[in-house]
Amino acid sequence: MKKLMLIMVSILLCSTVVFASGATEGEEDKDVTLSVMWFNDANESDVFLDTIDEYLKANENVKVDMQVVSFSEYEQKLKLMISGGNPPDIARVTNNHLSSLGSSLEPINNYVDDISAVEDMFMPGSIAFAKDGDNLLAYPTEATANGMLVNLTAWENAGIDVKKLSKTWTWEQWEEAVKEVIKANDGMKYGLALDFSPHRYSTILFEFGGRQMNLDQSEVEFTNEGTINSINWFKRLHDEGLIPSSVWLGSENPAELFQAGLVACHIGGSWNINTYNTNVKDFEWCAVNTPKEEIRSSVPGGKFIASFKDSENKEEAMKLMAAFSSKESNEKYCADTFNLSARVDTDVPYISNKEDFTVFSEDLKVTPAFTALEWKASSLNKVYSYIREQIVQVLMGNISAEEATMNIDKEAAKF
Amino acid sequence: MKKRTQKGNFHQILAPILFLLPNLLIFGLFIIIPAFQGLRLSFMKWGVFTPKQFVGLDNFKNLLSDEVFWITFKNTIVYSISTVICLLISSLVLALLLSRNKIKGEKAFRATFYIPALISLIAVGIAWRFILGDEMGIINYVLREMNFNPVSWLTNGTMAMLSVIIVTVWAQSGYYMIMFIAGLQAIPIELYEAAKIDGASAFASFKRITIPMLKSTILVVLVLATIQSFKAYELIVTMTKGGPGYATKFVVQQVYQVAFIEDRFGYASSMSMVLMIVIAIFTLIQFKATGKEESYE
Repeated sequence: MKKLMLIMVSILLCSTVVFASGATEGEEDKDVTLSVMWFNDANESDVFLDTIDEYLKANENVKVDMQVVSFSEYEQKLKLMISGGNPPDIARVTNNHLSSLGSSLEPINNYVDDISAVEDMFMPGSIAFAKDGDNLLAYPTEATANGMLVNLTAWENAGIDVKKLSKTWTWEQWEEAVKEVIKANDGMKYGLALDFSPHRYSTILFEFGGRQMNLDQSEVEFTNEGTINSINWFKRLHDEGLIPSSVWLGSENPAELFQAGLVACHIGGSWNINTYNTNVKDFEWCAVNTPKEEIRSSVPGGKFIASFKDSENKEEAMKLMAAFSSKESNEKYCADTFNLSARVDTDVPYISNKEDFTVFSEDLKVTPAFTALEWKASSLNKVYSYIREQIVQVLMGNISAEEATMNIDKEAAKF
Repeated sequence: MKKRTQKGNFHQILAPILFLLPNLLIFGLFIIIPAFQGLRLSFMKWGVFTPKQFVGLDNFKNLLSDEVFWITFKNTIVYSISTVICLLISSLVLALLLSRNKIKGEKAFRATFYIPALISLIAVGIAWRFILGDEMGIINYVLREMNFNPVSWLTNGTMAMLSVIIVTVWAQSGYYMIMFIAGLQAIPIELYEAAKIDGASAFASFKRITIPMLKSTILVVLVLATIQSFKAYELIVTMTKGGPGYATKFVVQQVYQVAFIEDRFGYASSMSMVLMIVIAIFTLIQFKATGKEESYE
């Protein structure tokens, strides 16, 4: 009797397991369409779809519905979707987005067994942006860095070995040399174009020993000697005609000025390597180390993918994001989009420009950690436009650098 | 008899209401309710991810001492008055030239002047940025080729404001020209013939017949152009991004910045309320100034 009972219970348990597993399998096989929100610097959306193609083939029940939005409208659209309770399943976000959208993102911790193992796969700077306390809110996809790109042909025409000089140069040496370059090249009018962006401007600011936040990153604090010196230097270069006023005063695209051969150097993001690789045909160009003032610095940043607390298909979204963040996928994505990898274990097979990426990485390595932490602060991101406006006011001669920094501190205190 | 009265009531009262109902529903849903929501928000402190908090009149008090808001407000008024006056004159002149079927190819000219009104203002802004850009702009390129000094169209505050006004007038004159042409063609030709027989000059006919008979069209153009100019955003953002500095930054751009970048929806709503009141005042003044009905029969 006991034996019979044992057999009966065993059969019952087995059938339960079989049915239960069948139910799970049924759920796994349920068709899921993941909504993906994306913005492009160049060709990232196409490469993303290409990279996840194999995952989608292996998981036929998963489909992707991608919406590509222009970057200028991206944050607003994303915020409205989140506040309306209808966020996408997956979104591409920048480090700036992470600071403003952090509270609405679904932590990855709930979907992986060992979160510290996941964190160890990526560069510490990228993880710093993606973490909120103990929670990891997003998978880093690519690292970005600010750096200098030069018109190599123009420098060679002036007889200057810019690659060698840039290994140790200071801003004073750069100024002296770039004047020679302008003199030696007909049609070259300016020494430097800097993106119309406080983030790119902060490269100069940090190099001059400036800070945007106080030491514990709790408050915006622009009023300090280094920051004021950097603004005054920036104004002097505008006044002397070494920097074109049409970028910061007239919103002209500095990349277009560089591509037209009008400027000798461009300080921009690492994604410009991709742009110039495609667009620049008339002269040779390369990345060089940024000149030094108090310190040599880049500004780290990055792009990430994340899911949201209110997303409809979080489970499947997390699986796809994990697959997309694997070493192989990340290498392919970064190689095809010409981006720096955010993983520590990758050897990206760039088809060209490997040297340029190495230069950007070198600048990143000597960049102090506080630069990333400052740009992580939401209070700083809220006065982003105001910072730009105040610097322009100085360039126009309407206010002094001291007044601008005090105004920025006062404005930030309102939040 | 009783039945006829009921039928009359349906045709006179219920039927018009039923015809208006779809429009009223859409208007209420997308205009009236959001407007009241905006009013409610203007008394709140609210960000997208933070709970709403009632702050009474604090947002409006803060507005009084907000230097940037008043700069953008002044810019908006300057831009609005300039564009409305220029639009009124340019579209009326174009209509006078192109409404009498006297010029060869008149219809082609009308179409040519109307085409910019069909183009998205974003495309207009981008195109004109390429034309007026300091370094990469077509006009400055031509000037340099002709050994003239380039002009700081978009990097000098005054020139930038002038540029956006000119481009706005270029983009919208055709639209208002069509309204004026319709108004002009509705004026009975007999009035001009009678004036001619009486020995009235062309200017006297224009002053005594055309302008008075166009009064309602002028009012419509004034009101529409004013509202449009106060809401100017796409053209300015694509052409100058509000710069240089604050030179071409208008209230709508500031509202967008405060709401979506600074995440202060309550404060941005209070700015919108002030803008709405100002538009309402301007519209009322225009109604008062031009709205009195006169008979010219």
